[in-house]
Amino acid sequence: MSEQQFEPSVIAFLCNWCSYAGADLAGTSRIQYPTNLDIIRVMCSGRVNPLFIVNALQQGADGVLVSGCHPGDCHYMEGNFYARRRFTLMNELLNYVGVDAKRFNMSWVSASEGAKWKDVVEEVVENAKEAGPFEQFRRNKINW
Amino acid sequence: MNNKPKIGVYVCHCGINISHTVDVEAVAEFASQLPNVRVAREYSYMCSDPGQALIREDIKNEGLNRVVVASCSPRMHELTFRKTLAEAGLNPYYLEMANIREHCSWVHGDREKATAKAKRLVAAAAVKARLLEPLQEKEVDVEPASLIIGAGIAGIQAALDIAEAGFKVYLVEKTPSVGGRMSQLDKTFPTLDCSACILTPKMVDVASHPNIELLTYSQVEDVSGYVGNFDVKVRKKARYVDMDKCTGCGVCAQECRLTGRIPSEFDEGMGKRAAIYLPFPQAVPAKYTIDPERCLMLTRGKCGKSPKCVDACGTGAINFEQEDEIVEFKVGSIIVATGFDVFDASRKPEYGYNDYENVITGLELERLVSASGPTGGDILIGKGDDAYVPKDIAFIKCVGSRDKSVGNEYCSRVCCMYTAKLAHLLTEKIPDANVRVYYMDVRAFGKGFEEFYDRVRREGVRYIRGNPSEVFKRGDKLVVKAENTLTSTPVEDEVDLVVLAVGLEPRRDAREIIDILRLSQSGDRFYMEAHPKLAPVDTATDGVFLAGCAQGPKDIPDTVAQAKGAASSALVLLSSGKVKVQAQVSHINEDTCRGCGYCVEICPYSAIELVTVNQFGHEALVARVNDALCKGCGACVAGCFSGSAQQKSFMDGQILPQIAALGVMR
Amino acid sequence: MVDLEKLRTVAKETISRDDVKYLIGWRQGTYGFRVTPCFIEEPGEAEQLIFSPLCTNNLASYLIVTEKLPLPRGEKPDTRKVAVMVKGCDSRAVVQQLIEQGIKREELYIIGCPCEGVLDLKKVEAKFPHILDPVAAQWGKDKIIFQLPEGVVEVPREEVLAQKCLDCRDPNPVIADITLGEEIEAWGNGEYQDVKELEAKSAEERWAFWEDKFSSCIRCYSCRNVCPMCYCKDCILDRLNPSWIYRSTNISENTAFHLSRAFHLAGRCIECGECERVCPVDIPLMKLNQKFSKEVEEKYGYRPGIDPEAKPLQSSYRPDDKEDFIL
Repeated sequence: MSEQQFEPSVIAFLCNWCSYAGADLAGTSRIQYPTNLDIIRVMCSGRVNPLFIVNALQQGADGVLVSGCHPGDCHYMEGNFYARRRFTLMNELLNYVGVDAKRFNMSWVSASEGAKWKDVVEEVVENAKEAGPFEQFRRNKINW
Repeated sequence: MNNKPKIGVYVCHCGINISHTVDVEAVAEFASQLPNVRVAREYSYMCSDPGQALIREDIKNEGLNRVVVASCSPRMHELTFRKTLAEAGLNPYYLEMANIREHCSWVHGDREKATAKAKRLVAAAAVKARLLEPLQEKEVDVEPASLIIGAGIAGIQAALDIAEAGFKVYLVEKTPSVGGRMSQLDKTFPTLDCSACILTPKMVDVASHPNIELLTYSQVEDVSGYVGNFDVKVRKKARYVDMDKCTGCGVCAQECRLTGRIPSEFDEGMGKRAAIYLPFPQAVPAKYTIDPERCLMLTRGKCGKSPKCVDACGTGAINFEQEDEIVEFKVGSIIVATGFDVFDASRKPEYGYNDYENVITGLELERLVSASGPTGGDILIGKGDDAYVPKDIAFIKCVGSRDKSVGNEYCSRVCCMYTAKLAHLLTEKIPDANVRVYYMDVRAFGKGFEEFYDRVRREGVRYIRGNPSEVFKRGDKLVVKAENTLTSTPVEDEVDLVVLAVGLEPRRDAREIIDILRLSQSGDRFYMEAHPKLAPVDTATDGVFLAGCAQGPKDIPDTVAQAKGAASSALVLLSSGKVKVQAQVSHINEDTCRGCGYCVEICPYSAIELVTVNQFGHEALVARVNDALCKGCGACVAGCFSGSAQQKSFMDGQILPQIAALGVMR
Repeated sequence: MVDLEKLRTVAKETISRDDVKYLIGWRQGTYGFRVTPCFIEEPGEAEQLIFSPLCTNNLASYLIVTEKLPLPRGEKPDTRKVAVMVKGCDSRAVVQQLIEQGIKREELYIIGCPCEGVLDLKKVEAKFPHILDPVAAQWGKDKIIFQLPEGVVEVPREEVLAQKCLDCRDPNPVIADITLGEEIEAWGNGEYQDVKELEAKSAEERWAFWEDKFSSCIRCYSCRNVCPMCYCKDCILDRLNPSWIYRSTNISENTAFHLSRAFHLAGRCIECGECERVCPVDIPLMKLNQKFSKEVEEKYGYRPGIDPEAKPLQSSYRPDDKEDFIL
């Protein structure tokens, strides 16, 4: 597969109140962005287990995004603060074992930032594209 | 009952909103091949009556026990379809939605790729659907009372509506009097009603209504709890005046050593008041307040031999020992009506607001034309003997609105009409005045607006299209420098008075309420409504509603309309008496819980506690969730190493297959 | 250095107490350099106890794996204290277990043993292969003194000390009811040299390094089982539903296993090195764990298992936590 043709798969975990709503706003505003990123909705970025990242990379994702409310704006007051600590650590771990730093991304996107959501998607997809297919880490047989 | 999953997948065209970029037939065909899927259909509008009927019939005829709706955002229609399931006798939480509109058809143009993505999203939803569990929604009683924050016209109107319906209202106002911005206005556009004449009766009503507890000079300190059962803590600031004893006679203010030396907030700093003051003559409650930042006694501990106000007060109402008081109560719903601040004109230094006394804001002119204002309604610029009546007057519109350079892209919606109103009042008060208005656009969109604008122009007010670049002094005159963009000619206009039509901004302390109530802000920094179209008074926090300019700039009729809307939303809660609490709460498996207490520390709502249980004769600590307090964020779940904490409908066992489905679809 | 006579006297007194169930300590193993954990229930057995550079096992692990058998109705559980001998690193495990409420302080009697570093048996046995008779060792100044069958041999300590001990910052127990011997001055500098060396390499080199290590993993779970901080009754990595990782041993599942294990220890690993010691295929697990030790210390100023009052790292936050990697 040549570099041009490679269409990365990105799995994104979005909090219901800010980032998911921001992505909804991007939709309502008809802002166009790449199709490579698929969203899994959770209620809060604090719900996202860091091991989901490992699992997503195993199960076929070339890149992963976790997005929540801006610090201080969490609908549940503190969830994104916990998320920030957890993912800062997970990010360090992934880098340390040699997973391309471009594969894991985190962002704060508020419910009013439809345009920022587009920028984030473009950047994350571009990052995953640069990192390339993550075949080394794929699970042999995916059972669903 | 055989609980083997039988899934129905319903793919919505949404007219052509989805079908123009996503091949919905292909998606439905694909879905029909997914494991456990019994039926897969596509339909033009799933949310319509016939669309919902389709689901209900399939549940009955095909024995479906799980439903996937691939349509718009679940934030839009999850509740709609949950109801559909419930009507067909299925647990509403057997629903999973795939967002193929906002997250797919609307943001992608490539039909092939968008269809592929829609398939992935449907697959992920279907895998999750088969693992869903039925949830029970618990009901809790609603405290039959409402908290309203801010007693401007919005708060007053909402309070009266709710109180009239028979429920208790706590109306909390930060300043010493109710009335808000509207009390500062002289006339209201476009009908030229006297603002005070229509407002003051309402102000008196809220003070006298048996169902309304008025808490003026008070601030909400903390709100905890949840919809239907909020615990509110309000700080009643010390007025240093005994409300029961004060008769509002005003002798104290006359006697105060600082009389006429402190700028009056009500008169936008143009009038002066004493350290003990009534914000304005019609203030409600008509009780005096001592300004703790100015009063000599309170700042220096000494005021002559003895404070003159104390000596003057016939009822002994003044009490310098008074302290702030914390009031606590429970309410079922909350309305936020905190209003706006006007744009600070000194942030546009080119207009010389800080430099020239004859550059004033619209609100300042409002006080000048008001009969209750500092000049008794005379248009006088300057002080004492130097004061003069301006003849050449220029308005500059859109100061602080529609202006990226100050971070306000939005239109403030009232400046066009209040400019027209003030221009009209000026021509009325100064018959030989020569009034012109520099504008970018004139937005006369409301009922009677265009007619009023037309009238004002016929009265001789000149409208010049051009956004002035600067205002500077030349001799005794001010020069407004602009370009008339209709004639493409540069203009240097010599005037006596420049009025800046400043826009509306969110309250500078808007953040405090955000932190207390977990509100969001929209891009313009005003409080954000739950949905711009369909839930314009709701917020993301259940039981909290918005009214008036706190949500965005609006004029008085719109504010009153929204206040009535918010009151009615609050009343729906209060009068039903019951509210369903979050069903998608966390649950802890006590068999595997190791009692480490991480979740207890993490929970932002203190909904989890460690309890001692007996495990085969041994004492063991395990965590336990209080369903009524849990708001369903799931932060404990991701923090639980043993996976004992799980959030219903967002369990690890439901999300991991979603990840797998998205992966396998590549 | 801990005086053996003193140790045995203290142990005898301890085990004679009415409120002590048993004492966990070390005794000479059955062959070679082996030392084995022992459970002392009678004062007479205290004579077996030793404390030497060969006492590598972290006995704190036994505090939380104790099986609690179902009790007959009406019978009260034995809540008498467990006495345990701890080195510096072991004591940090106890503190972290206390923080995480795995054990109760009042059910412990902690005998602190300041430690000058334990040995890496692999290094020792490489130096002195094929020794079957029990061998003793003791600390000397900057050296280890072995009583081999052929006589006394001295070896410079850095040649045989376990890797984790070369950079030890906590030779003295951070918590103890009684401490034997003198306090020892710490020699470690906390510079995480090992971690930094690996960090300096390129991502490809790092992946290659770990791929090589992880691919040899046989998924025996010894690292998890020996760890004093891994004490879930039902480990999620074992669980079939939901299944986080599959049981097959391939690079994908092995890597996921090691990442998950390491992540669960982030801000919790007390650097006793037991995982690395028991690994049958020599995966340098401490290199992974120490990465987190370094990050949590640098980013959050946090060292697990030091302060019993501290909030666990992963269940706390500061509003101004660093977030430089966020888009």
